[in-house]
Amino acid sequence: MSRDFWNGADHGDGVPLVPLYVLVNGRTSPRTVGLDLATQVIALKADSGGLEPEYDAIVKRCQTWISIAEISSYLKYPLTLTRILVDVLLERQFLAVGSPAQETIVDRGILEKILVRLKSL
Amino acid sequence: MARKSVKLIVAGGFGTGKTTFVGSVSEISPLTTEESITEASVGVDDIRGIEDKHSTTVALDFGRITITDDIVLYVFGTPGQDRFWFMWDELSQGAIGAVVLVDTRRLDASFPAIDYFEQRRIPFVAAVNKFYGECPYEEEEIRHALKLRPDAPLVWCDARDRDSSALTLIRLVEHAMSQLPVGTWSGV
Repeated sequence: MSRDFWNGADHGDGVPLVPLYVLVNGRTSPRTVGLDLATQVIALKADSGGLEPEYDAIVKRCQTWISIAEISSYLKYPLTLTRILVDVLLERQFLAVGSPAQETIVDRGILEKILVRLKSL
Repeated sequence: MARKSVKLIVAGGFGTGKTTFVGSVSEISPLTTEESITEASVGVDDIRGIEDKHSTTVALDFGRITITDDIVLYVFGTPGQDRFWFMWDELSQGAIGAVVLVDTRRLDASFPAIDYFEQRRIPFVAAVNKFYGECPYEEEEIRHALKLRPDAPLVWCDARDRDSSALTLIRLVEHAMSQLPVGTWSGV
């Protein structure tokens, strides 16, 4: 991990001044059901100024549809933290969410579209 | 919102070529996301001595393939360490299925993945990775050694080759379709 989050020690570079559990109000899991690592989100507001930097960075990354895993990867935030930050942004209506990725796919049409695309690779 | 994500999993033991496979089919350079967990939370949680907790990083490699304007396929490699099953559980939930990469020099490295998907009835194909040269075994020998069920497809692939990896995914999606309940049609 290129950036260490608060680990109980108040020293070293790259350690945020505010522990991240404070930033997310102690939330330890997302309230939005189905917030899977593959779930995609998009920014609803162009202006994310005034948000804390960690939130602001996410909104700026979400100008087009992007998955939680991609946000985590690009911003180098741990996955669970990313999920919770996104959850807070959804509640505050800075982001909108796509379909949950945890639904079992029983739609043959979706699988057929995937086949067509894979055959064109 | 109708924006839809679908997931495929690439599993197999350490060094079977998962990251190579993900990279060969992805339309973007493979990305890595990390989960930071404390060793204590892996076993018994112990809140004493927090300052001494060592954090372990579980890394997940993944790629993406845009299917249509509103569907994106994500291909996730499982973490190298098999013991982080909680990550497998999240990856598998709602996944179309899995490719289990097999290195014929170390068949046993793929046993845990095969067991995992069989037990959860998640469609999978076993893919013998020819990365390390021609496979000296016949299909039946490998099926027997892996204890594959008769309906589980076994394919040969070269994880470095885009066409070969894409064919493996095609075989997986076809297999997943064959497992759908009869009469499941789209939108009709």
